[in-house]
Amino acid sequence: MTGAQPRPRWLFLVSPRWLAWHAFAAAAAWGMLWLGDWQFHRAESGNALSWAYTIEWPIFTIFGVIFWAKTIVDEWRRQSAPAAGLLSASALADDGLDLPAGAHTPGLADDEPTDDPELAAYNAYLARLNSPQAPNYRMARNSRPAPR
Amino acid sequence: MRPDVLSLVVRGYRTMAYVTGTMLCVLVFVCIPLQVWGNNAKPADVVGTIHGFLYIIYIVVAFAMTRAVRMKVASPGTIIVLLAGTIPVLTFVVERWVSRRHIAPALAGVAPSEQPVLR
Repeated sequence: MTGAQPRPRWLFLVSPRWLAWHAFAAAAAWGMLWLGDWQFHRAESGNALSWAYTIEWPIFTIFGVIFWAKTIVDEWRRQSAPAAGLLSASALADDGLDLPAGAHTPGLADDEPTDDPELAAYNAYLARLNSPQAPNYRMARNSRPAPR
Repeated sequence: MRPDVLSLVVRGYRTMAYVTGTMLCVLVFVCIPLQVWGNNAKPADVVGTIHGFLYIIYIVVAFAMTRAVRMKVASPGTIIVLLAGTIPVLTFVVERWVSRRHIAPALAGVAPSEQPVLR
């Protein structure tokens, strides 16, 4: 860390956007558990097919919780990445989509030092894709001619 | 991400995308019409249940793929990939889009020689 950030890292979790996301995740999890419970009662009262859904809904709930947790870990990693060079802009933006190309390179925000040449090459590739000279949608298109 | 792991995850994703997508098409375009107009609910029950469990596998494999090609978790792309398994035909469209937009660059970046020939 360069110490350029005055606010604590976890503060993003209580921004309106993230609060809305937490609320949605909680509602979705509750809803899926409710559906599982409903299917369980249907299964108990003789609907054999409902046993499958009784198993499925909790699994979807678990996945939803994992997904929600991953979004937080992802953002946390992005915020704790060194705020130098290319990465400085990522701290300013909640979402990399609207940034100019090159400002946001999540692939470079790795915790481990990149002594692995393969990984370094991959990171360099990602940086290249994100550079303004070569927007990656264009590169991706060039790498594969459009069908028809 | 090692190239062999990446290509394994991608292969798993593609397999599940096509299997799940096909099963969903069978369910929606064959079994549900049978249930509604043919008064035969049995195929829809069976295929619906199969699709449910395939979708669980799909969502796990697809999520692993989005991580492997370093898509952002909270991005429209990731969410569309995950939800594609529940909307008829969308898995096929999304598989092509994600291949071009994310998988091909990732494979090219890691190991150009291993980039599959895409039709």
